[in-house]
Amino acid sequence: MWTFIIRRLIQSLIVVLGVTLITFVALQMSGDPTYLYVSERATEAEIQQTRVALGFDRPLHEQYLKFLGNLAQGDFGNSLSYKRPALEAVLEALPATIELTLFSMIMAIGLAIPLGVFAALYRGTSVDGSIMTMGMLGQSIPSFWLGIMMIMFFGLQLRWFPISGHVPFIMPLIQGNVVQAFSQLPQALYYLIMPSVAVGFYSLSRNARLVRSSMLEVLGQDYVRTARSKGIPEWAVVIRHALRNAWLPVVTLIGLEFGFLLGGVVVVEMVFSWPGIGRLVFNAINQRDIPVVQASVVILALVFISLNLIVDLIYAKIDPRVKL
Amino acid sequence: MKPLKSLLLAGAALLALPVLAQAAPPDNTVVVGLSAEPSTFDPAQISSRDNANIAKHIFATLFTVTYEGEVQPYLVDTTEVSDDGLAYTFGIKPDLTCDDGEPLTAEDVAYSFNRPADKSLAFTGNTPGFVYTTLGFKSAEVVDDLHVKINISARTTLALGMMSQVYIHCKDSYEKMTVEEAAANPIGSGSYKLASWDRGSQVVLEKVKDPGNFQTIIWRVIPEASTRTAELIAGNVDIITNVSPDQVGAIDSSGTATVSAVSGTRRIQIGFNMTDAMAGQPGAEEIKDPKVRFALQYAVDVPGICTQLLGMACDRATSLVNPPNGNPDLVPVPYDPDMAETLLDEAGYPRGEDGVRFKIKLQGPRGRYLNDANVIQAIGQYLTDVGVETEVELMEWASVYQPLLRTKEAGPLFFLGAGGVTWNPLYDMSLFATPEAATNYAGWTDERWFDDYKLALAAPTVEEARPVINRMLKLFYDEGPWLQLYFQPDFYGVSSRLDWTPRRDEEIELFNASLK
Repeated sequence: MWTFIIRRLIQSLIVVLGVTLITFVALQMSGDPTYLYVSERATEAEIQQTRVALGFDRPLHEQYLKFLGNLAQGDFGNSLSYKRPALEAVLEALPATIELTLFSMIMAIGLAIPLGVFAALYRGTSVDGSIMTMGMLGQSIPSFWLGIMMIMFFGLQLRWFPISGHVPFIMPLIQGNVVQAFSQLPQALYYLIMPSVAVGFYSLSRNARLVRSSMLEVLGQDYVRTARSKGIPEWAVVIRHALRNAWLPVVTLIGLEFGFLLGGVVVVEMVFSWPGIGRLVFNAINQRDIPVVQASVVILALVFISLNLIVDLIYAKIDPRVKL
Repeated sequence: MKPLKSLLLAGAALLALPVLAQAAPPDNTVVVGLSAEPSTFDPAQISSRDNANIAKHIFATLFTVTYEGEVQPYLVDTTEVSDDGLAYTFGIKPDLTCDDGEPLTAEDVAYSFNRPADKSLAFTGNTPGFVYTTLGFKSAEVVDDLHVKINISARTTLALGMMSQVYIHCKDSYEKMTVEEAAANPIGSGSYKLASWDRGSQVVLEKVKDPGNFQTIIWRVIPEASTRTAELIAGNVDIITNVSPDQVGAIDSSGTATVSAVSGTRRIQIGFNMTDAMAGQPGAEEIKDPKVRFALQYAVDVPGICTQLLGMACDRATSLVNPPNGNPDLVPVPYDPDMAETLLDEAGYPRGEDGVRFKIKLQGPRGRYLNDANVIQAIGQYLTDVGVETEVELMEWASVYQPLLRTKEAGPLFFLGAGGVTWNPLYDMSLFATPEAATNYAGWTDERWFDDYKLALAAPTVEEARPVINRMLKLFYDEGPWLQLYFQPDFYGVSSRLDWTPRRDEEIELFNASLK
């Protein structure tokens, strides 16, 4: 197992390097960022002075190598917009995104499994039809539109949920304010509901369909028939024998799911005024704030890679056929 | 029984949550929904309008511009100008204080002017950039405790207005802070001080002195327009910015808020790029002919665009100067496509067999100005209708269009909105300060304009420069480098509980806001 982990860590390093290179080249291709940091009345001399101050006058390879050198020391440089360490800005925004993504994922998986199981057990009935219709809808509706519709209906018309905003939970925990964190947990969850549905509805729908088809396949297997013939109660057959095997494909997806959900939060964070990393990156890209974009991408890549590694380890644990 | 009791308690708590989450602001608090979040509170770094709107309440300024567009003293008691107009000596009001408790003296004022100009700190905000470039700032020096001298490089009637943009901050505190610390810890001299900054979510200001009718101002960051509208209608926010025309009806019919529209100072225009960068492009030579430029003015139905696409009636602009500072003798060019065709014929560009006089490209941004993409496409069609076959190209602002503009490579026709003011026509005209000016995106080189601009700028007062200004504006009207459009309307959503009047210059000033 350790060989596997070490091999994956080396692969991760290559992935991170690749990610930084692609981000760097993409940002450089989109124009000279200097113009965003000078007055529209700046003379050519002033523009050049700012270009030098920001380091954009150096050859691209030199800029990139300098960035890598600093990165090796954990230094992403100072944000061009916020004038403070880019990593600090990213790490400050990360907990809000983790809250949203985790909650969305818990919802997407936690609800998908029972829905998928029910749809499989009641195949061809109105229960199955309703769940699959919801699945189709979930995979067809864009998250930003769903978010806006929920704001209009549940936030504005019914006043059930807050329209926008965020109450932190993870950040006070990190800062050691455990009492504060837990005292505001109900409010934090309350603010999480609508954005999480908007982020996770697509995944919930896809996972429910996946569990359903997986369950249908498993329920027809010999060992399930054997279990039934032994007189084991139906709920035990479904949960202990069928579901245990049927949810393996879902576990495989969890790692990818997190990455997918992270991608989805950018738009949803804008809609719900959620102060997370998605919104930070969106603004940073608009501002050509290269250090913040780089720091965000690297941190997200690391989160994604780590999660996939954990999922692989869990997978090996729950499926004895898999050897690491 | 115990679990049931817990469940009931939990249910009651959940029911109470909506009340907690959606409580309307208390009477001593006003909440503003902003579209963009502030990035810094360092007075030398602030550059965006949203950021400046908050800063304006934290930092006082030597002068202030009123709703009516007059520059009036604020911290200043007396003003003396040297004979050559290159030195301004201000006496500041006695007994002023900083937020750190120290007295506010001439030393603080001089420091506030000199710090942004410190090249070693490489500030990139509005003050060291746009303000100091326009002002021609050289240095500030202390005369005595209550007198400070500001030196500039050339006489200009823009001086006091530009100085009104410089935030006065407190030397002792700033000297102890790093640039990074200064970004998050503003120590000013204004009516409010920063109470908390929850990055990405909100900024809370608390009142420390008059003027100001609210004890607390909360600036909430709500990037999405429809979310801002929902928060306003729900009564959670008192003022929102950048209401799009399609949401006006929803707000006005909500019963909890109304839309306040104002004709802004941003000048929307189509520029004619006459620089060498356009050489060889279709239409580039044709637009160098002033007769063609004037003929095209008749081709576009500007009032129609305002009514149909911007949701507000407007008068067509007659020049680049904001009303009421324009030339009163100029009448907006009417929409008259027949006249456009006649003038184009007379200019020597008749329709060809295919009905086309000449072809040209119109470039513009998407999502930068109010309904810009639709406006640009409409203009493209108007021009095509009179035989100038126009290819419209819409671009992303920050990475594509802005660099093109800055290098004067946008065009041959380019769509642009330029910020303006109401306090001095020469500010609006300074886009064309010299043929080489960075903001002369059109590459206009008419010597008559630039000679007159020097004359106007050197005049001791705007009134004395008025005949020259009017002559220049007539030239701009007849042969200028713009296809004149409109002053962009600004729409604000305002809660029904609030008495507040929006300004024309996009500044949000809450000192006079009050509950009805």
